[in-house]
Amino acid sequence: MSQSLEAYLVLSALLFAIGTFGFLARRNAIAMLMSIELMLNAVNLAAIAFGAFTPQLQTHAALIALLVMAVAAAEATVGLAIVIAIYRNRRTPLVDEYASMRE
Amino acid sequence: MTIDELLVSLLLALPLAGFGLTALVGRRLGRRAWLIAVPAIVLAWAIGMFIVYQSVFAHAYGEEGLRFTLYEWIPAGDFVVSANFLVDSLTAVLLIVVTTVGMLVHVYSIGYMAHDPGRWRFFAYLNLFMFSMLLLVLAANFVLLFAAWELVGLSSYLLIGFWYNRRSAALAAKKAFLVNRVGDFGFALGVAAIWTTVGTLNFFTTEAGPGVFELLPEALHAGAIEPWMMTGIALLLFAGAVGKSAQFPLHVWLPDAMEGPTPVSALIHAATMVNAGVYFVARANPIFAEAPQAMVLVAAVGIFTAILAASIAFSQRDIKRVLAYSTLSQLGYMFAGLGVGAFTAAIFHLMTHGFFKGLLFLGSGSVIHAVHDEQDMNRMGGLWRRIPITHWTMLIGSIAIAGIPPLAGFFSKDEILGSSFKNGFVWVWAIGVVVAVMTGLYMFRLMGKTFYGDSHVDKEVEPKIHESPPSMTLPLIVLAIASAVLGLLVGFPPESGLIHSWLEPTFHHATETLGIHHEAFQLFGIDGYLLVIGAAAGAVGVALGMWYFGLFGARERRPAVERWTQRLHPLYVASLNKWWFDDLNDLIFVRFGGWVARAMWWFDVNVVDGTVNGIAALTQSTGRGIRQIQTGRVQNYALGIAAGLLVMAVAYLFVVGR
Amino acid sequence: MALPPTIPFLNWPWDDLLFLILAGLMLAAAVFVVIGRDIVRSGISMMFAFAALAGIYVLAGAVIVAAAQVLIYIGAISVLILFAIMLTQTKSGPAQLVFHRQAWAGALAAVGLGLLLIVSFINTQWPLRVEQRLWSATDEVALLLFNDSLYVFALQVVAVLLTAAVIGAVFLAKREEAPDPGEPAPVTLQRLRRPADASAAD
Repeated sequence: MSQSLEAYLVLSALLFAIGTFGFLARRNAIAMLMSIELMLNAVNLAAIAFGAFTPQLQTHAALIALLVMAVAAAEATVGLAIVIAIYRNRRTPLVDEYASMRE
Repeated sequence: MTIDELLVSLLLALPLAGFGLTALVGRRLGRRAWLIAVPAIVLAWAIGMFIVYQSVFAHAYGEEGLRFTLYEWIPAGDFVVSANFLVDSLTAVLLIVVTTVGMLVHVYSIGYMAHDPGRWRFFAYLNLFMFSMLLLVLAANFVLLFAAWELVGLSSYLLIGFWYNRRSAALAAKKAFLVNRVGDFGFALGVAAIWTTVGTLNFFTTEAGPGVFELLPEALHAGAIEPWMMTGIALLLFAGAVGKSAQFPLHVWLPDAMEGPTPVSALIHAATMVNAGVYFVARANPIFAEAPQAMVLVAAVGIFTAILAASIAFSQRDIKRVLAYSTLSQLGYMFAGLGVGAFTAAIFHLMTHGFFKGLLFLGSGSVIHAVHDEQDMNRMGGLWRRIPITHWTMLIGSIAIAGIPPLAGFFSKDEILGSSFKNGFVWVWAIGVVVAVMTGLYMFRLMGKTFYGDSHVDKEVEPKIHESPPSMTLPLIVLAIASAVLGLLVGFPPESGLIHSWLEPTFHHATETLGIHHEAFQLFGIDGYLLVIGAAAGAVGVALGMWYFGLFGARERRPAVERWTQRLHPLYVASLNKWWFDDLNDLIFVRFGGWVARAMWWFDVNVVDGTVNGIAALTQSTGRGIRQIQTGRVQNYALGIAAGLLVMAVAYLFVVGR
Repeated sequence: MALPPTIPFLNWPWDDLLFLILAGLMLAAAVFVVIGRDIVRSGISMMFAFAALAGIYVLAGAVIVAAAQVLIYIGAISVLILFAIMLTQTKSGPAQLVFHRQAWAGALAAVGLGLLLIVSFINTQWPLRVEQRLWSATDEVALLLFNDSLYVFALQVVAVLLTAAVIGAVFLAKREEAPDPGEPAPVTLQRLRRPADASAAD
């Protein structure tokens, strides 16, 4: 099984699905950000999996994964800073309270 | 412009100017409001008489009469209507009636309206009416005629509703106008039909080309028009006459028109306006002569109206109403005369009727004035000693209308009856004889109740009964003289009098077309019999009237009258209710029409407005519903994105996978 | 003692067992991240997920990526997240509702998405694939990074991005300073957002 591309890809898909569910369903803003990190990791896994089974893509896949990680880090930073700023204003990290732009 | 054309134009301009000036400054003239209007009409009368003289005595206008165009009124490309006028012998006869009776009524009104604050309006309207009527008889094309037709109707409306504060007067004026409108609608359709058929609206030939009265018969004979089209045109035009001259079924307005002041009733509803229909049918005789079925209908409508109106006159208590129904009845005679082809006789009767009916109305006005505005005959009586001039003149008028020789009515009425018999319309003749009896009867019922017998006048009014001032009695006397001698003057010998020589050229062609050939008048042949029967009928009616209501011991015969009323009770009730025609109209048009109108209104409010409002409401509610999507929460939007992505991907897979 | 070549009784290679263990661990940890009521526990569980994922990377032959995963994700990002959790604590902690009302719809969407991906992955013929996984060499990765113009450029851009992110984060999250007496208050995010509230909160 570790020799089959499909196994890694299925794993990646499952991880992505879990991350999507967490993003859509959790009330806490930080939990949403954690779910986003899971999704990004799933993408990384898929890239690495393709790289592992395709000789031409191997190094490219590794580099892509590294760059994605860097961007994920930046995004997590800024996202958390925003959550903290909003928290200071609303005193709550729950996203269904952030609803002033409604109809 | 020749002198004659100038005079005709002046004839029209004078009343119009009188109307304008009186309307502008009349109020300030106060008691002398008549100073502008009456002299204008007297002058118009003088000019009118001169024109009549020129036309029928001096024969200055030739066979075809005076025709001229004043100016081009409506230049609209192919459709050109000029203000053109025609004066022939028919016009002359009408002019005699209109100007003379008009002038006398104007003089009479000086006295009659002396106490009315609105008298300046009255004279203004009277002058407007004179202008309209003169325009009507002088017009030489259909559009001008129609304009005058409508103007006459307008003047009638204004004058019937003269005392506008009275609700009954306002309603009567409205009724008159509306019923007239129904007829005018048919008339307008007829004019339109003529225009589409022959392309011109002038009566006779002008520089623009041949006139309607030449073109239409030609077209019929050439086969360009079907006979039914001709009949249709004739009937449509006749519809207008039915409205204007108050024939069945558009007769309902005339009795109510008595709400107007008595001079108005005399002038408009006896002598002139209601004659417009008769004049028009006579003028359009080329059209009618080509449509024999229409002629039969004209005769039928006419004689039916005659007997209908006469039957209603028996039960009326208001003196003016009796006279109104009498007018209806006599107009019916005229139309019957027209319908059977006796055009000259009808016009002759128009002329004589104008005089004696005008006399009767003015006389009744004098009576009403004497008993201080009481119009119910049952509260009069025994007046013949108190108001002698009025009494004697009205007596002459009543005898004239009953058709007793040698007064005017006898000649004209008898000629109509005689012609109907000789032209083959025996049923018209028979009904006409019955109506003659009835005429005598109800007229002398009127005379008896008003002037003879015991006085039932209100006790307080009794001492104040006085004869009218000369401004009122003078016209009465003049008209009485006219009623007495006019028949002899213009209608004697029968069928060869002055009026026949005047009108023969006008109706000659029509008479020939209808195939009416008469041998000369035979006093000791058929004509003699008819004469005797006609006179006898009138005499019988007079005698009965006098017997039951009149001169000698009417008091004793009152129970007999009561018994007759009981025996004929259903007829009496029908007569009293005017044969329920007003109720019928009310039912059909007011109630049912109102119901239809309300249904339409319901439809408009609920369906039409409902649809529009419903669409707006739908939009609003849809918007309100869809707005719920905007929650302001990012996760809801993210869910939307995820779902959309899923749907798109699945759809794509399905499409590609197929 | 040397390991037998395959697992006894099952005849699986040892790699496969390792893969299964790591995969199961990772999925379990990930599930706990999204379901966990206490957010601190969710954070810790996320670290476990990252660790398992690093193991899988090694199994797939991408050693440098595994190392980077541990360094960056576990070492930096997870710590950052835990700090943020600490800073945004509310009193009524675990008693609150964890999921929205839309969680069911979200679950449906997630399951659908997952199924979609799995189905597409399995049914696609991936070209150029080989049957055996390959090991990657670190020096080749380094050479590619610094020689291929695309990745050099990407590297520079990422560097700028990180700098900007840091500056932005510092600015966003900084606490408002008390103004000097006499000077007008400086314009901050908080003041912009709700002036009345800001002054009341301060």
